Amino acid sequence: MNLSLMTAYVVVVSLYVNLGIALYGVFARPSLIKKLLAITILSDTANAFAVLVGYRWPVTGTPKPPVYTNSTFNNQTLHYYVSHAVDPLPQALVLTAIVIGLAVTVFIAFIIIQYYRLHGTVDVRKARR
Amino acid sequence: MRASEIFVLISIIVFIFSLAYITSLGGLGQLPPVNVRLLAQRYLALTWNPLKPFMSSSGYESVTAIVWDFRGLDTFFETAVFYGAIIAAIAIYRGVKISGKGRTTGMSPIARTITRLSIILIPTVAASIALHGHLTPGGGFQAGSVATVVVVLIIMVFGRKALIRKGVTKARILLFRSLGLLGIGFTAVAILLAGVALGLNAYIFQNQPKLFAPLGFPKLYDGMILGGSLLLFNLFEFIAVTAGFTLVLLLLSLGEEEVRGVVEK
Amino acid sequence: MIEVFTLAFLMLVSVASVVAAYLAIRERDMVKAIVYSAIQSAMYALIFYVLMAPDIVLVYIPVSVGITPAVLLFVTKKTERYDGD
Repeated sequence: MNLSLMTAYVVVVSLYVNLGIALYGVFARPSLIKKLLAITILSDTANAFAVLVGYRWPVTGTPKPPVYTNSTFNNQTLHYYVSHAVDPLPQALVLTAIVIGLAVTVFIAFIIIQYYRLHGTVDVRKARR
Repeated sequence: MRASEIFVLISIIVFIFSLAYITSLGGLGQLPPVNVRLLAQRYLALTWNPLKPFMSSSGYESVTAIVWDFRGLDTFFETAVFYGAIIAAIAIYRGVKISGKGRTTGMSPIARTITRLSIILIPTVAASIALHGHLTPGGGFQAGSVATVVVVLIIMVFGRKALIRKGVTKARILLFRSLGLLGIGFTAVAILLAGVALGLNAYIFQNQPKLFAPLGFPKLYDGMILGGSLLLFNLFEFIAVTAGFTLVLLLLSLGEEEVRGVVEK
Repeated sequence: MIEVFTLAFLMLVSVASVVAAYLAIRERDMVKAIVYSAIQSAMYALIFYVLMAPDIVLVYIPVSVGITPAVLLFVTKKTERYDGD
């Protein structure tokens, strides 16, 4: 087994384990803040998966970021760019997803503060009726 | 360990294993892949392509080109979702006054001196990320997030009241938010309005001239790459994201005793 | 040689992210849990960097290492610090 395949397995397995840990935090921990923390870990892991799917390992040379860095333009440089750059579409989707995820996280934070004002606790098991 | 926790653990493990099995069957394929999808190759080839002027975008950066040109309408509605979440958060605090009166509380003089330096440096980096977003990695969303860090720093080190006394009031933040959102909307329809005025065919979210639609934003000025509408979108998104997060963080840093009287009424 | 170094680094970082996420979920003190979560986010930022996504690194470091912990710290300060019994 070569090293790149082993690295791919280790990264994918650790992302799945992170997914499981985050789901455990959402389901089993009583504090609402801990649930929110687990949700951020969950969304980050999903984003990391999306970026990983867009990664590539070209036949010759090393992968390049999706930025055209050559100041001259001809068919040869364009072919080099297209055959070496990683997939830009998952990155564009993840980029907006992270910022919107932060806005939603802030919204849930306001909801948790309001919950604390109404119930006197953030523990879902001890909440007053 | 209680029975319910064991049940949760077993169901999570079963879920993760079935998800991994499904994705390994057909989703992920060979890892790491040698080639990218055909759509990605098309996007990469058309990002900067003077040979195909009617199909290409106007910058070196493929991600910014996808975010604001190829899938511009998508990002427009994502900005709408972003502001929906922020407005929903603000609605809880309706009627709460943000005042700068009273004593300021802050950290030690060492932290204050270091922060005074970074108050100048971080917005400079953010502006360069926003204005260079079509050439190097960066763009409006990145620059907005970077600029929000300086707001967090000021609130943590100098206190919220110092920020308001420096002139960052709620009315001015709302002004900048409106400026950013109006700029995004206007840039999206600018070519369409010009086309209607001149009697030519045009589209919304048009950046470069298309076939049978000869109008477009300037791509080059004196040999310098302007980036067309990408530059304008990045700039206005930078303003909008910074203003939105600044407003939310100001509300979040309010003391509990100031809020309770209004919210519980 | 440099490829071997990059791949070993990627492996190390992903295992470290698992450890940090586990500690963040198990920790009862929310302030410590937020710090562990920030460490996990920093590991993810390194993963994104190695996976050739400079745009995402630029947006991910301020959001996940800077602003999200600040928001969670504000919430913790206004409510309860300890999780569970």
